[in-house]
Amino acid sequence: MRVVVIGHGMVGSRFAADLVEQHPSAHLTVLAREPHAPYNRVLLSSVVSGRTDPSTLALPQVESQRARVLTGVPAGRIDLDGHTVTDANGEVHPWHRLVLATGSQARIPDIHGIANPRGLLPGICVLKDLDDAHRIMAALPRSRQAVVLGAGVLGLEVATGLASRGLGVTVVHHSGRVMERQLGAAAAQVATSRLRELGVRVVTNTSVAAVTDRRGALTGLTLTDGTHLPCELLVMCAGTIPETTLARSAGLPCDRGILVGDDLRSPAADDVFAIGDCAQPPEGATGLVAQGWRQSSRLVELLTGHPATVAPSAGEPSAGEPSGSETPDLTDVVRVKAPGLDLVTMGLSGQVDHGEREVRTVRLSDPAIGRHVEVVVSQGLLVGATVVGDQQCASELSALYTRMLPVPRDPAHLIVRPLATVRASSATAADLTDDDTVCRCNSVTKARIVRAVNEGCTTVDGVSRATRASTGCGDCARLVGDIIRDCPTGNANRIPALAGRSEG
Amino acid sequence: MTAPTPPGVATHCPYCALQCAQTLTPTPGDRLPVEVDGRDFPTNRGGLCQKGWTSAEVLRASDRITTPLLRTADGGFREADWDEALDLVADRLRHLRRQHGPDAVAVFGGGGLTNEKVYALGKFARVVLGTRFIDYNGRFCMSSAAAASNRGLGMDRGLPFPLTDLNGADAVLLLGSNVAVTMPPFVQHLAGVRSRGGLVVVDPRESATASLTRDGQGIHLAPVPGSDLVVLLALTHVVLAEGLADQAYLTGRTTGIDEVARSVAEWWPERAESLCGVAADDLRRTARLLAAASPNRGGAGAYVLTGRGVEQLTQGTATVQAAINLSLALGLVGRPGSGFGPLTGQGNGQGGREHGQKCDQLPGYRSISDPAARAHVAAVWGVDPDTLPGPGVPAVRLFELIGEPRGPRALLVHGSNVIVSAPNATAVRAALGRLDLLVVADFVPSETALLADVILPVTQWAEEEGTMTNLEGRVLRRRAAVDPPAGARSELWLLRELARRLGVTTGFPDDPRSIFEELARASAGGVADYSGITWERLDAGEQVHWPCPATGDGEDDHPGTPRAFLERFPTPDGRARMIAVRHHGPADDVRADAPLHLVTGRVLQQYQSGAQTRRVAELNAAQPGPFVEVHPVLADRLGLVEGEDAVLTTRRGQAIAEVRLSDGIRPDTVFMPFHWPGLGSANRLTQDATDPISGMPEFKVTAVRIEPAGAPDGVISA
Repeated sequence: MRVVVIGHGMVGSRFAADLVEQHPSAHLTVLAREPHAPYNRVLLSSVVSGRTDPSTLALPQVESQRARVLTGVPAGRIDLDGHTVTDANGEVHPWHRLVLATGSQARIPDIHGIANPRGLLPGICVLKDLDDAHRIMAALPRSRQAVVLGAGVLGLEVATGLASRGLGVTVVHHSGRVMERQLGAAAAQVATSRLRELGVRVVTNTSVAAVTDRRGALTGLTLTDGTHLPCELLVMCAGTIPETTLARSAGLPCDRGILVGDDLRSPAADDVFAIGDCAQPPEGATGLVAQGWRQSSRLVELLTGHPATVAPSAGEPSAGEPSGSETPDLTDVVRVKAPGLDLVTMGLSGQVDHGEREVRTVRLSDPAIGRHVEVVVSQGLLVGATVVGDQQCASELSALYTRMLPVPRDPAHLIVRPLATVRASSATAADLTDDDTVCRCNSVTKARIVRAVNEGCTTVDGVSRATRASTGCGDCARLVGDIIRDCPTGNANRIPALAGRSEG
Repeated sequence: MTAPTPPGVATHCPYCALQCAQTLTPTPGDRLPVEVDGRDFPTNRGGLCQKGWTSAEVLRASDRITTPLLRTADGGFREADWDEALDLVADRLRHLRRQHGPDAVAVFGGGGLTNEKVYALGKFARVVLGTRFIDYNGRFCMSSAAAASNRGLGMDRGLPFPLTDLNGADAVLLLGSNVAVTMPPFVQHLAGVRSRGGLVVVDPRESATASLTRDGQGIHLAPVPGSDLVVLLALTHVVLAEGLADQAYLTGRTTGIDEVARSVAEWWPERAESLCGVAADDLRRTARLLAAASPNRGGAGAYVLTGRGVEQLTQGTATVQAAINLSLALGLVGRPGSGFGPLTGQGNGQGGREHGQKCDQLPGYRSISDPAARAHVAAVWGVDPDTLPGPGVPAVRLFELIGEPRGPRALLVHGSNVIVSAPNATAVRAALGRLDLLVVADFVPSETALLADVILPVTQWAEEEGTMTNLEGRVLRRRAAVDPPAGARSELWLLRELARRLGVTTGFPDDPRSIFEELARASAGGVADYSGITWERLDAGEQVHWPCPATGDGEDDHPGTPRAFLERFPTPDGRARMIAVRHHGPADDVRADAPLHLVTGRVLQQYQSGAQTRRVAELNAAQPGPFVEVHPVLADRLGLVEGEDAVLTTRRGQAIAEVRLSDGIRPDTVFMPFHWPGLGSANRLTQDATDPISGMPEFKVTAVRIEPAGAPDGVISA
């Protein structure tokens, strides 16, 4: 089977590597537009914030005699009838299966003056690929004020990252609140307050009308409400557009993205597939890499005829049992990677219309400390959550959500964790009841130690000999000493108990 | 040195791999034949846990077997003398071999047997029986750690450094190990790192060990069961992304960093968080703590230690590999004061995996597929290398093959209670039922022994001489303090007698010292080289860690190798290998009808299948029976009540256990110890899916449903 993959980004490269590994006779040609090995695009904002060394972004790539990766070679034309792709160098690549993983491009808003015939003005950037990240970093030394256009996930990541590098940052957002697709008003307000603490100012309900420059370099911009903001750096995080140019010219049906069915197949050609950001599946595209990777493994399963992710077993294959890979795997967890801002949403979040669904929504709003947690439960499962400012809660909820595990009888338990009861390990002698175990290693209770003291043991060593307490890991020696000291019996009060075990 | 004054006998505890030093003082006329005391020693510093203190009880277990027992027609047993029992076994073995070939007989060993027994058992299987079917219960224990260490470091010596080295570290990352319960005196060696806030425990429960991190003594990470690999990939990601790796070490001492770096590039903390349930910032904090402790960044040292919790998975080898990769990225391995190592579980779990009872292995940790290794060992054994069988199959597969056309028809079990300790225990029990002959050598009537056709009573611990190799690769002397009961015989003796009856009259002495000397010769030049270790050196109390090759006449003794890898790794190019691994999750993941993770483990007062400890009244009083630990929020949802019974159901079976509430466990997880037989046996529930590299079963994560025993569905059939 000859497979041509167009695109060698996070999803295309994963797909190519997995298919070659799992399909013994697949021969692959991968057309990689960018001149780099595949790399982790999700971390570009962390590169901008200085938290990730750009040299560590490289991702695994297919290494096999059956795979040919043409780096820096874009595809030129798809011939559906002839089952070929012609690349930009004119080479023709035949295929039995064609996989489009062309990704998306940054949406560049229509703003007066942002570009000249050579491209975007110096100081004006998007953040979609590694070159963009380098361009932003190159602009940092001469920038004191930055504007980030768009308060979506990427916008907030870039804004906090630039602020952590000491720039004055303003986020300009068209909507009335940040991350309006994911956050309701209350959550957005908590997030906005937190952003302010991190040195990021948020301006809503407005957009950039025009930019001003001196000798071709950015000096500031004018908002649609007439405000002027001086800045040396503008990063436009105004969303992405699926890259569909090739597909459209080949006559494949496209809407926003390349239309595919549940089986990731184009309705117009059953040997052509699209995965990742360029695809528009029936459930809609989330723009999250988790969805693309999930599509990649589903497509590998489809083309190889066996599950890609099931654990190998030396035991019997246990016929008829569903494999691990069929477990639902929800991928729409949105996690903002912004130092100092903990913000996670999943499933139903923000101001959604729940329609006919019977849902329970439980909310904890605690703006004074920057916390807002909201969980949506339906039929015993967590179907949505919004968490601002509580990372522990967010990590537990996302683990629960992605696995579709049942929720507590009272969903409030998802938000508020009961305090742990006091256990002997950190208890004081006075806290312990007679039946409490003091020495776990030797099952010695407080009562047994008190008895030993009453029988005349007045040192930790003496009690150890009589009861074996503290002869295992030794951790309770101090507690044993305290019990001896607290013992009202006989003359024990006068004898200073040792805090540890003596020599010997 | 405080040499024990006679009549005290210096030996080591019968239980775990810490091999705490004991002094046994004979007490003629008392109920118990010896008095046990802790003895000062580097690993236990005189400490013992309750199992160790009460170990003499097992010597006088009321149901101790003291005469061979033969199955009778009515399903009971009758007593027999040794000649009758051994003649019977030899006849049946001879007959089965003649009819079905040598592979009709299989041998199953144990990680609690002395080095000499392990060696003799492996030799007996290969030379006398000529079978390729031999494996042991260490398959359920150390196989993933061993496979990963061999691949990554070229050698599997448990801790490749003395345990006492831990005291000076600034950070210790302990993954999937509950040492405070399984080897309590170990905890003494964590005092230093705890005082510096550097103990990191990774466990889905706040185990006794995890609680040692409280009050600023460290960090407890509680990942979703089966996702420990994700934690390790994310930690390595942070180390590399933030430039915290030891680049000089990576360049000078390792290969494979580029591939590993690309593989962990996929595991940024926020992505890891949504899979493993550990907050991204906790992952970052942990990675930075480890890096700050590493020598490259001026720290006092860091250790990464793994236990069964992360190894008993279908991705167990990959998980240990990832732990090794992290250790190598930080430049810890082969540096004094830092390191990586798995914590061996069983008493001789280390020696047990070196001397030839593994299906693919010959003494000296040699491969049975390597022609040079076969030639060397065959020469020591005085046989033609071509007569040695090839590699067999790992334990789970071995049980599956019973009753198959080319599978075993007879099984000799030594030092293992498999129907309690093996995964999918109900299936293992059924497999044993398909045998034509089951022979079990044990000192108590374990649940497995009670299924046997022939039970052979053997000696134990304080009744025998021999050597054991502890969790740090140090070879120790086990010494006899009391005479065995009249009818019990050493396994070495019974192997000699069986060999003689099967026509092999030489090469099976029953004297442990001669066998040790032969073992040392057989191991010469192997990875686990014991050839420079002598009975005299051990008796003199020398601290000898293998490898310890023999030296020439007139040369000084080799001092042994307390710290391995200091100069080079025992790989062809002398470098450690970083091997990229991928996370695939459990074979049996949670689903609507089994929405919880079952994890299994141990309690302090019981040991493994409980065959020994369940015979000690004091231990039973502390831990009387099976229980399942449940979070109160989960109990509230399911109507489970503390102290009442719950029924657990998995794809493999059902079990029943008393509910214990604990807020130290994840609400999506329940914990059950595996020490008990019958309806409370946790291994009725576990999976026999295995790791593709090590053959390790996935004990540590099974999808389970749990309900009150009185509920309509909560009916259980035995």
